Amino acid sequence: MPEELNHSAVDFWDLLRQHEIPFPNSESLVSPAMPVKSQESIGVHGTTVIAVKFRDGVLDIADRRATASNYIMYEEAEKILSLDDETLIAIAGSYAAASEAVRFLRHSFKYYARSQLQDMSLEGKLSEVSRVLRQSVPGALQGIGGFLPIVSAYDSKKKEGRIFFYDMLGARFESREFGSAGSGSERIRGSFEYIVRTKGPFREMTLQESLRESLLLLDIAASLDTATGGLSKVLPIAKTVTAQGVVDVPEEELKAIRKELMRER
Amino acid sequence: MAYTPYDWQQVLQQKADYVEDRLRQGSPVVAVSCQEGILLLTVRRNQRKIFEVYDRLAFSGLGQQSDLEAVRQVLVDFTHSEGFQRSTEDVSIQRVVGLAISPVLKRAFSDPTKIPLVLRGLFAQVEDRPEDDLFYTLDFDGEFSLVKNYAAVAGTDQAHQAMEKILSELDTATSPENAFKGALQAWVAGRWQMRHGSEGEDKSNLGGSESERKTLLRETLESANVEAALLERDTHRERRFRLLDKEEINRYMPRL
Repeated sequence: MPEELNHSAVDFWDLLRQHEIPFPNSESLVSPAMPVKSQESIGVHGTTVIAVKFRDGVLDIADRRATASNYIMYEEAEKILSLDDETLIAIAGSYAAASEAVRFLRHSFKYYARSQLQDMSLEGKLSEVSRVLRQSVPGALQGIGGFLPIVSAYDSKKKEGRIFFYDMLGARFESREFGSAGSGSERIRGSFEYIVRTKGPFREMTLQESLRESLLLLDIAASLDTATGGLSKVLPIAKTVTAQGVVDVPEEELKAIRKELMRER
Repeated sequence: MAYTPYDWQQVLQQKADYVEDRLRQGSPVVAVSCQEGILLLTVRRNQRKIFEVYDRLAFSGLGQQSDLEAVRQVLVDFTHSEGFQRSTEDVSIQRVVGLAISPVLKRAFSDPTKIPLVLRGLFAQVEDRPEDDLFYTLDFDGEFSLVKNYAAVAGTDQAHQAMEKILSELDTATSPENAFKGALQAWVAGRWQMRHGSEGEDKSNLGGSESERKTLLRETLESANVEAALLERDTHRERRFRLLDKEEINRYMPRL
């Protein structure tokens, strides 16, 4: 067998190493001479991303604003991305680092499926997200590339939607009802609890009900957090993950609920 | 002992004979464009033979399973490192065949000290319109050629001709069901020709008659299964490639 046909990569990390392709890219920017940021400032990411369960799966919703300090850079950022047909990721933090991580994860999941001829398990995918976060710790500590994701997945074995959130070092936690990240999320945390206690669990709601509650939450976040774009200027992005895969919530549905919420203000 | 150009030519001839002998009984592979995408089909006993390589790319072939597997892994490695480093759009069938794999086969074939790979490969790339779909066939010596609308690889030239005769009548605007039926007919024609045809024979019965093909297919399916995959053209799924499940195959199967 010719040497070129000696395949030895065990996973996508290994493949990139063998081809000398750097990941994460921020690694080359990290310098021991740079000061380490304070713990408090690392976790602050200007945005609000929300994941809530509903009867058939999970609904992810996010504002579209991208900021640099108090400067609004862009009003059409996409912060909800699909990793594959059963997994969504909502990102808060450094957009560069997060989008590179998403590209990596998409390739990593597909590489595994195509080279091993079987899909990566949900557990495997979640561990891969942890591993990516751990790799970006040096960058995050120096303020050049930290991000925190919420991962929403449809578990085809348990036949239910599941929501996972992470800390900066890659520790993973599963949420029973909802997850949120970004600067606006802290301000609306109590509102999630209020909804669950007064209206019942998200997982028992219809998509329409979950959508209404999460748009309201996003609107409240935007009114309390300057880094979160509201509903009025640019329509948020909403995607669902269910047994049918990942689907975009149609703009018309979002517009109709937005109209209702604006009227109730 | 001195090594002469004559020896080298002899070695290549022997190597070609060695590979062709082993390919002669291999199960043909067919790929056809249809409205929904590209349908790939073969008939096999145990090992899977149709593979997803990248977002718009599929690979199949006949030959030794270990060689097909080695080539498949190289293709998956090449496409994923290229796609990640640049863009998924930069991974194209001509780069994959012409750059990643053809030179490797060529070197293995022309180096007298190396055992050649026993395989004949088929590559398909789905595009936005059926007329833009691309197919490549790749031989064990690294030679490759681009074809449109459909492609087939078989163990002998005559089997290939028998398959082309049927495939040339197919319409690319057809449904996956019709593409499946046409591809299966082409497969049986190739198989029939490999069994019954011989060089120089009258070509009027190329691929056998319809009833001869029906009988052969019925016999073959007693101990083998149809494997088929669709590279979907328009899909909201992240992965365009999907193997047809048993139920779908049974639905498309002609009455035997």
